Amino acid sequence: MASATNGGESYNFKVVLLGEGCVGKTSLVLRYVEDKFNSKHISTIQASFLNKKINLDGNRVNLAIWDTAGQEKFHALGPIYYRSSNGAVLVYDITDEDSFQKVKSWVKELRKMLGVDISLVIVGNKSDLEKDRHVTLEEAKEYAEKVKALHFQTSAKLNEGVEDMFLALTQKMLDDAKKKKAQENLLIGQNSQRTVTVVDDEAETTKRGCCGSN
Amino acid sequence: MDGENDKSSFWKKNVKTVPGRPSPKRDGKTSSKGKTPTSTSFQDFQASVSDAWDMDDDEFCVISGLENTKISKRVSQSAAINVLNTHRCTTEVESPPEEQVTTDKQLLPNCDNSAKVNRIPGRPKQLHCLNPPQEEDSESKLERFLTLLENPPSLQELCKLSWSGIPVKVRGITWRLLSGYLPINIERRDGVLERKRKDYWTLVEKYYYTEHDETNRDIQHQINIDVPRMNPSIPLFQQKTVQLMFERILFIWSIRHPASGYVQGINDLVTPFYVVFLQEFIPDSSSFETFNVTELTEDQRKIIEADSFWCLSKFLDGIQDNYVFAQIGIQKKVLQLEELIKRVDEPLHRHLKQHNVCYLQFSFRWLNNLLTRELPLRCTIRLWDTYLAENDSFATFQLYVCAAFLLYWKEDLLQEHDFQGLLLLLQNLPTQSWTSSQVSVLVAEAYKLKVMFADAPNHLQSNSGDS
Repeated sequence: MASATNGGESYNFKVVLLGEGCVGKTSLVLRYVEDKFNSKHISTIQASFLNKKINLDGNRVNLAIWDTAGQEKFHALGPIYYRSSNGAVLVYDITDEDSFQKVKSWVKELRKMLGVDISLVIVGNKSDLEKDRHVTLEEAKEYAEKVKALHFQTSAKLNEGVEDMFLALTQKMLDDAKKKKAQENLLIGQNSQRTVTVVDDEAETTKRGCCGSN
Repeated sequence: MDGENDKSSFWKKNVKTVPGRPSPKRDGKTSSKGKTPTSTSFQDFQASVSDAWDMDDDEFCVISGLENTKISKRVSQSAAINVLNTHRCTTEVESPPEEQVTTDKQLLPNCDNSAKVNRIPGRPKQLHCLNPPQEEDSESKLERFLTLLENPPSLQELCKLSWSGIPVKVRGITWRLLSGYLPINIERRDGVLERKRKDYWTLVEKYYYTEHDETNRDIQHQINIDVPRMNPSIPLFQQKTVQLMFERILFIWSIRHPASGYVQGINDLVTPFYVVFLQEFIPDSSSFETFNVTELTEDQRKIIEADSFWCLSKFLDGIQDNYVFAQIGIQKKVLQLEELIKRVDEPLHRHLKQHNVCYLQFSFRWLNNLLTRELPLRCTIRLWDTYLAENDSFATFQLYVCAAFLLYWKEDLLQEHDFQGLLLLLQNLPTQSWTSSQVSVLVAEAYKLKVMFADAPNHLQSNSGDS
């Protein structure tokens, strides 16, 4: 995932956008990647791919972003896109309570399948429609905190919060990747000792198995 | 296991001993050089694609008539046929123009189209950079259709004539006949139409305007958020009246097909039917794209809606498993597509695999939406002519169309050297300037693949890891 270059490091992160239909997933990505907005986006079929290269604290990061379709019907194919993802953007529409419930079910599924290996950001989109709000900021923030996800409010239309949200997620993925790498280095340091332990375990298990069968 | 044996023996036989049959390998080589098919496959298809010849007859009239020169149609036609016949006899000694085509393709991107047009099997070598001929509107073809439709036509003949494109003026009635909605028997037609249209509106009364249970509310919600987002660049689809018609069609279809229900993308499949039936009521001069449907009478709108519904239903019957749970029909076809490309163009397949591109990532949408998202609407309608003419075998044929579509972009794909580049290209293939000519090339190439695999019943099922 990471490769060293002079000065900084390069990272490739896979990010998946999930959420109910018509909450603005495609609008968010297009705003972020191409700085475009169109109030009428055609519905996404299955998933589409976009990428964005950014520079964060001297690290070169390539984001491979999968923008998925909202309909439940395509849900069966969800794992193909979130599997091996480093981050997920879970989008709801602040004017639509159901779409927030959908985010919750995605969080459950992702935590169950991927544990803490994936960085999550929960995004309340369409903040320009404040007057029609149905999901309070407090409720959403509280929930995000509980499931260890970041939370952002965005308006793809007004270009508010979109860049910040993607940057924060990238920062989180970067931190995680570095932490993981540090751990791996630590493990390599203890390498020989660790190998012995594993062998011992296996031997023991085998022995116990033999005894048990007798 | 038996099946596997059959298949391997098929391949040996095909490669070695079937005379004139283009072997998959050889075909891959020719297209990789960007040249026209070899003379062997040309002759093959000259014999097998007689309908492609019909199309060319018409196009040829247009091509051979010089600008601003008035030639009587009969003269130009007979001249064209003479030229065609001459070409038929002399195709083998024509390599120089082919090289020119290749050069042009490199130098002038705009000539790309005509260069590709020249690759239609059975078409004689042509001048470069001609305006794409409008084969559907050629009058002789229209006359042939009118003659055929005067009496109860044989469905087989109608399919054959329609395969290479249907003139706008008779497209509505031909589509109704091809989809099996309108009976061939002329005396029965009025009665059936009247009854079916009434049936549709009874269904609407009964199910659309009543209280929905939870499942149906979900379906309706999904339809209601998708329909307003359709074809954002075409004003017609922004009209509330039009959107309501689509919502009713999709909802009624959905509750009548509970195994699948509405799936995102099916909305796009209504569009061609809707536009074709709408065009029957629009004056010749005005474009459907900006037409205001409230100018029509209520009865006319009701006819468009009911007929779109019934034709859509018939059309989707053959591909229902595309839309059931987990969309197994599509998943299966994605595997078949991969298998097919692996066989006909190994270098392209390897190129995609090398950069970790999965077929599912780009071809799911092609199959789910039958290429409607990849082509301009005018081309989709032309493509539907062939789909409907394929009748029962359209589900399989569509797979070959997708394969031909992928192969069409081979050169461009080979220029891309990373996952990002490949996927971005595959998702945004530059078809904006396509006309029906490119679709004709596409279906002709698909037909070629179909013929190539016609007697290999197991070729698509072999996921057993033997290759």
